[in-house]
This record gives sequence, C-alpha cells and structure tokens, in this order.
Amino acid sequence: MNDFLELVVGATASGCIYGLVALSYLLVTRPTGIINFAVGEWSMVAAFGGFMLLSRWELPYPVGMLVVVAAMFGVGWATERFTVRPLVERGAPPLAPILALLGMLVVFRELVSLGFGPDPQPVPPSFGFGRLELGPLAGSYQSFFIITMAGAVFGAAWWFFERTLAGKSFEAVAIDRRAAALMGINLRLVTSLAFAASAGVAGLAGLLVAPNVSAHYLMGLPLAIQGFTALVIGGVGRVEGALLGGLILAFAEQFTVRYAPVPPGLAMGVPLVLLIVFLLIRPTGLLLPREARA
Amino acid sequence: MKKTFLRTALSLATGAVMMMAAPAAMAQTIKIGLITDKVGPAKPYAEPVTAGAVYAVKELNAKGGLLGRQVELLVEDDQGKPDVSATAARKLVDAGAAFILSVSLTPATQQAQSVTLETRTPHMTPSNSGDTLTTQISNANFWQTGPLASTQIATLLSYARNKNFKRVALVTENSALGQLTNQFFKAGLEKNGIQIVSEEVVPGGSTSADPQMQKVRASNPDALFMTGVTTPENALILRSYRQLGMKTPILANYNMSVPVYSSVAKGLLDGVAFVDAFDPAKAETQRFIEAFKKDSGNEPYNLNGYGYDGLMLVADAIKRAGSTDKDKVREAMQATRGFQGVMGGVGASYGFADGRRTGFDTNGMVVRVYEGDKQGKVVHVGVK
Amino acid sequence: MKSLLGFVVAAVVLSAVAFMLGSYQTDIYRKLLLWTTLALSYNFLFGIAGQVAFSHFTFYGIGAYAILILLFQVGLPLPLAVLAGIALCVVLALVVAIPATRLEGFYLALATLAFAQLFIVVLNEGRTVTGAAGGLANYRLPDVFGVRVTGPWYTVVIVLLLLGTLAVLWRLDRSWFGRACRAVRDNPEAARAMGVDVARTKIIAYTITSAMAGVAGMVYAFVDNTVNPPIFGLPNSFLLLFMVIVGGSGRHAGAIIGAALLYLMPFVLSPLIGHHHALVFGVVMVAVVLFQPKGLIGLWDALMARRRAA
Repeated sequence: MNDFLELVVGATASGCIYGLVALSYLLVTRPTGIINFAVGEWSMVAAFGGFMLLSRWELPYPVGMLVVVAAMFGVGWATERFTVRPLVERGAPPLAPILALLGMLVVFRELVSLGFGPDPQPVPPSFGFGRLELGPLAGSYQSFFIITMAGAVFGAAWWFFERTLAGKSFEAVAIDRRAAALMGINLRLVTSLAFAASAGVAGLAGLLVAPNVSAHYLMGLPLAIQGFTALVIGGVGRVEGALLGGLILAFAEQFTVRYAPVPPGLAMGVPLVLLIVFLLIRPTGLLLPREARA
Repeated sequence: MKKTFLRTALSLATGAVMMMAAPAAMAQTIKIGLITDKVGPAKPYAEPVTAGAVYAVKELNAKGGLLGRQVELLVEDDQGKPDVSATAARKLVDAGAAFILSVSLTPATQQAQSVTLETRTPHMTPSNSGDTLTTQISNANFWQTGPLASTQIATLLSYARNKNFKRVALVTENSALGQLTNQFFKAGLEKNGIQIVSEEVVPGGSTSADPQMQKVRASNPDALFMTGVTTPENALILRSYRQLGMKTPILANYNMSVPVYSSVAKGLLDGVAFVDAFDPAKAETQRFIEAFKKDSGNEPYNLNGYGYDGLMLVADAIKRAGSTDKDKVREAMQATRGFQGVMGGVGASYGFADGRRTGFDTNGMVVRVYEGDKQGKVVHVGVK
Repeated sequence: MKSLLGFVVAAVVLSAVAFMLGSYQTDIYRKLLLWTTLALSYNFLFGIAGQVAFSHFTFYGIGAYAILILLFQVGLPLPLAVLAGIALCVVLALVVAIPATRLEGFYLALATLAFAQLFIVVLNEGRTVTGAAGGLANYRLPDVFGVRVTGPWYTVVIVLLLLGTLAVLWRLDRSWFGRACRAVRDNPEAARAMGVDVARTKIIAYTITSAMAGVAGMVYAFVDNTVNPPIFGLPNSFLLLFMVIVGGSGRHAGAIIGAALLYLMPFVLSPLIGHHHALVFGVVMVAVVLFQPKGLIGLWDALMARRRAA
C-alpha cells in the first residue's frame, strides 16, 4: 500500500510535467491553430539556463527560476516574431509555421549542443533532495514542488481564461479569428503573448524535470512527444484538459510498469498503444471545449 | 653585377635545398582511419575516445612517426547512424587507410564491419563493449579491445564472491548497448547459479524510475546490477534508489566510471561499486595522465585511455608488420601478445591468443567504489 | 512513347554511372538513389495526397525486415519471398490506413508517430526473429537463377527501383486518381460534393505509397547486409519530411532535389565545418519555409519563367 501511495505522488509529479508541456502546446494552438513541436527544445533551453544560473553561478533558486522563465518569455516572443509572424502575415498555409518550427527545433538543439558540449549537466532542485511525508503520502521534495508549481500555473491559467477579459479575448481569437479582429482584439499582440507564455510554461517544465534527469541536449523530443500525447488525451479545448491528459498518461505509464505482468520491454509500448486507441476512439480528447457543451 | 649574381646564386641554392626537402615532405604518410560520432547519441563517449587517439598520433609523430613515416589520422563522422558508418568505412578504405578504428555506437561499428569484411581491411574498436561485435559476423579482420560486458560481469562477480549473492536484480535502459550489456550480465549471473529475481527497463526519456525501482525493492534482491549506459536514465535510477530508501548493494557496469556522474548524480553515488579499466595509480597510466594533461591542459580519464591504447596497438601491429600491407598487418595484429597499455589494472595486457579477436585482458578490469562523489581507489583486480 | 524513351535513357545513364564509381562513391550513390525513391513516394503521400504521416520510413523498415525473415527464417525462395514481402507490406499498410486516414492533420501525424515508435519497440523485443537490439546481419542476397547479383549490377537494381517508382507515381499523378488526391488534400468537403470517395482515396494513396516504401526497404536490406533498429528510428522520418519540404512538396522534381541536397549535405559540409552541419540543416529548413515555401523547385520555376518572359 505504501508503494502505491508513493507511486501516486511520483506519477502525479510526472503527470504535472507532461501537463505543463501540453499546456505549452495549448497556449499556442488555441489562438493560432499552430502546433509547435519545438516546445520540448524550449524546455531543454530552460534546463540549460537553469544549469548556468543555478549550478554554475549558484544564484539563489527563486532568483534563478524567475530569470530563466523571464528569459523564456523572451525566447518565445522572438521565435514568434522571426519565424512565425512573417508566415502568418503573408497568408501562408497553416502547415508552414508548423514546419518552420520543426526547423527551429533542430536549430535550438544544435545551438545548445554546440554551446555546452555533449555531456549532460546538473541542475539543482528547489529544496534539495529530501523525502517528505504528508500523512500516508510520501515523495521527494522535488515531486511536491513540481505538483505545487504546476497547480499554481494551471490555477493561474484557468483563472486567466475563465475570469479575465484578456483571457476571454484569447478564447475569442480561438473561436473565430476574423470576428475577434473585427471586435478590435489585437491579433498580433495575442499571438505574441501566446508564444511568450507558451515558452515560459515549457521552460518551467524543463527546469522542474531537469534536477532528476539532468540537462542534456537530447531531452527535448521525448518531452515534446509525451506532452503532445497528454494534449490529445485531455483535449485541446480546455486548460484543465492538458493537466488531466498529463496525469492519465503518467499514471498509465507508471502503474502499468509497476503492476501489470508485462515484460519490461513491452511496457514501453503501453503509452503508444494508449495513444493510438485514443486517437481512433476519441480524437477530440476527454474534455470538450466549453462551447461544444452548450 | 655582383649583387645580381649573388641574388641568382642565393635563389638557386634555395631552390636546390627546397628540391631536396620536397621529397621528404612528399613522403607517404601512414593513414589510419577513425570513425566517430560528432553529432549523435554516442557523442559524449566517442569524443573523448577520439581525443585520446588524436593525442596518441601526436605523441607518435613527435617521436619520429611509424616506420619512418608520419602518421595521419583520418577522422570521419558517422553521426551515430549505422548506415552512414558503413559509408564512412568505404571512404576510409578508398582513401588508403591501413587500419580503421570505430568508436561510435555498437550497431554503427557492426555495420561498418560489412565493409571491412568485404575489403579485408583491418578494423578495430577500442571502446565498444558489446560482445556480439566479434560473434555476430565472422570477420577475421576485426578486433575488439573495449571492455566486454562478459568481462565486466565476471570481474564484478569475482569481487562479490565472498558476499554470496543468491538473488539479484538487473536494471537497464532501452538503448542497443544497454540491452546487450544486460543480456551478457544476465548470462554471466545465471552461469554462476545466481537467480535473477527482477529485471527492469527504464526507457529513454522517462521522467521517473520509481515504478521500476519499486518493483525491484519488492523483489527483495541481495544486490542490484546496473547495466544501463545512458546518463539521464542511470541518474533517475540512482535518484529513485535513494528516494525509496533502498539499501541493496549496487554493482554497476563500466558506464558508471565516466566522470559525468560525479556532477550529474551528486549525492547519489556513495558506495556504488563499478567496474572500470583505469587505475590511476598504475605507472603507465600515470605517465599518460601527466603527458596528456601537459598537452591539452585537461586531466584525462578512462575514455581518453581507450582511444590512446587503441591507436598504440594499431601502431604496434603496423610496426611489427613492417609495412601497411593489409594481410601482413592482420597477421601482426592477431599475433599481439602481452601489450602493456594505459588501461587495465596492474599487470594487465592486451593480446589475441588462440585466434580470439577480443583483446582486453579478461583479468584486467578493476573494481572501484565511489566514496562520496569521487571515484575511490581500486579495491579489486581481475576475475580470480 | 516519348516518356518511355526518356525512362530508358535515364535507366541507361544512371546505370552506366554505377560502373564508373569506386566503392565509397557507389555506397553514397546507392543510398542517394534509395532516399530519392523514398522521397518520391513520400512526396506523393504528403505533397499530393496531403497526408502528414511519419510512418513512411517505418514501412521501409518493415519491408527490409520482412524480406530477411521470409528468406532466411521462413526459408522461401527469392521470387516467392519478394512477392510475399510485397503482399505483407500492402496488408500492413491497409491495416494502418483504414483507421488512420479517418484522422485529420496533426492527429494522423501523431498516430503514425506512435506507430513508428511501436515498430522500434517490437523490433527490440523480437529476440531471434528480428535480432532484437543487435539486428540481423551475416547474410547476403541469394543467387537469382544461379546468378550472383552484386556490385554495380545491384546498383542497377536500385536504379530500376527508382525509375519504376517514379513511373508509377507519375502515371498516378496525371490520372484521375492524382486529381482526386489533390482535391481531397485541398478541400475534402468540395471533393466529396464532386463525387470523390474521400475515405477510399486516402486509403489507397496511403497503401500504395507505404507499400512502395516497403519495396524500397526490401532492396535496402542487401545494400549494407545489416539491418538494426537505430536505422529505422524517428530522426530519419523527420529527415524525409525535411527533404520533401526543402525540395518542394507536391512536385516529383522537388522530391529529387530535396533528397539529393539533404542527403549529400552532411558529406560535403562535414569536412568543411565539422559537426556544425546539423545546425545548417535546421537553418536551411527554416529559411526555405520562410523565404521559399514552394521549396527549391520554386526557385527553378521562377528561373524558367523569367527565361520564358525574356
């Protein structure tokens, strides 16, 4: 039973990471319809940022974290400004920005690998590596920190989209771009902010997961795929969907490995099969967008 | 008039000297090929091995070269892709390489063998540890002096003999080499009558190794053998191990000897026993460390040593063959006995006795234990 | 008739080249031809039929492993093994196509991505059937009617594969089917309204192109005489996509240019700028999408148009 509860904490933390990456996709996909596969590389860039600021220069954790996330806002904004905006304004087909971002995926990865070398680098956790017991639940400090941070981010995102006017304008852009523009919503600003926020969230995910897996230049693609899977499972329409998808994916992965009588090599196939099944049976994901329910 | 005469004489003399020097400069270099990975997944391991080989060439040339000629190292990048490795091998063969060294991924070395088999070019890997490289294809031109997985497990078992492990767990990841190492560790354990009570795989890209480690903990093994070769997954495994409060003794494959773990797995390494092939206290090794550090400014570690030894073995074979003729070199290489290198414990040597093509001394690996985050001194040598 | 002559001339010229090359150049040439073949069929699937799939290289792998297993483990004679291999690729492509083509855009991409990864997992777990992580090696092409096909003659086989693939795709493209594919790509609703069976068109396009990739894989198996899981991994699937984009999607000539450029680029750049060539890849991809979305073939067209206008 202890094992079970401890795994619950660990799987929740992993699920939060997947959920944050899924949220990163969602923040851009909702208003623009663009799928940014480079989110994994954004996480990687932030992880290396964490290495520089927190391991090398040993800044205090909150300072380092804020600087990295702020820098990621900048990276997201720049990515949109230079590789996406020219395409959108030219009226290029929707596939074009997606492909440009795929190219950026390679560019980010190679720049980091050239700058830092091929070896993985350490990133410190927020509160050190200790074990915390909260009643029957137990896990590492970092796991609880991840859960708390993800909770805060999702809480803020939910509040933003549900309760603020600015958030509603994002939704408006998502529902109908042209109408939103006609209503006076600044499309350019929305897109820029969406990319910036997306990069910030992806960066946070990278910073949170790196203490456990280290910062290494190949970490982007697996995160991108896991995040995308979470998004598909949870549904693109709602912020909560990203978190739900992430949790379901993480729980399916980890509990299958722990309890299912499947040989270890094949257990890796479980999330893949799960994804394929979901795509075939329920491609819109578990949670439908708000307008569909009315 | 005199000035012109002087000038003409000077230019003629210079021309004559240059003409005499020219043949020497145009003398044929001995070309040795090296296939490495500069951009792919093997890069963290291939780069230092390459650096060791490059330094070896420098040292050789400074001492007058090989057979009176300078040695030229032709380095090709296979990007960690096995099919590109085969292409790179062809390029090196066409360029006249007398010998080819492969230091990239295990499947890449395997694929390059299809070329060296066909062209009967001497070929060696000084760093790959997959046992199947010399068994899957019957290639008489191919040798392996990397630390075989079978030697690693034999050394670890010999170290652990008095601890009487009866039931053990294996944890690895899903790369080709990780799976291969696991396979041979398993075989070695089972041959010694030890029961494997759990065998887990942490896939690449995982965010946690908790489920796998919980299973291991639940199976209550006497010892845990780590057979994975990728840094992030091994770090996850060690993190989980501490997190779950496990106390099972850990014995790890030689991948854990790479210095990157001291920074990435800080605080997690104390007490981990690992098999290595580098004894810094050995005289030969100390000499190498001093010389390498003076040349590059960096302290060398075991991966550099593999590259260095590999190249020196090749040079030794060519020297004994007396030429770069492929058949003569092959015979000379196969005849290598008792070659003392940088790697291996005290008294270890390389050799290919009895037609074997794996040359690392089966008695030459050592076991070291991490003390805190630093690699402790050698506590055990060989498989006695 | 003219096109048949064109094909024969191309076959002769491309084959003649094979006899003039050293062993390193032959290796590059053969793999270039194979990548071009893959790019052509992928271009049809992605550029003409508009399906964003990452399973193309996986079918290449399925073909390669299938022929080896059928030849050396099931023990079929070569002609039968080839036919059985093709049949297997077609059946598998159908099995994947029927559910997959119901998915749109990025869902299809994701499903095929998962399929590609699943293939690698199956390969790694296949023990002696697939050779697991080490793959299959130590074999060679059996004699065909007592004749050993090696060296430049095998390159001729690859040339024929390439031209055969191009011929089939060209005919398909110019036929009613090609137009149906484009209609489905651009506007499925309108296509349906015009009487095109959208689902069937998509399934057929996917099946044919994937089966072609499988056949190319069968030929590849005997180029290096080694197959293993890393060869058929995701990075090569992405590379195929990049080739088609950079060359110009929807155009056969574009696929050929893209394949040639991106395949040869690392070999040319590596001696010059070392391992930075991967960075150049990404930059080229972004630059092409930003400045020349029609691909490099678009530049050629512009050049031709200017000449005609002048």
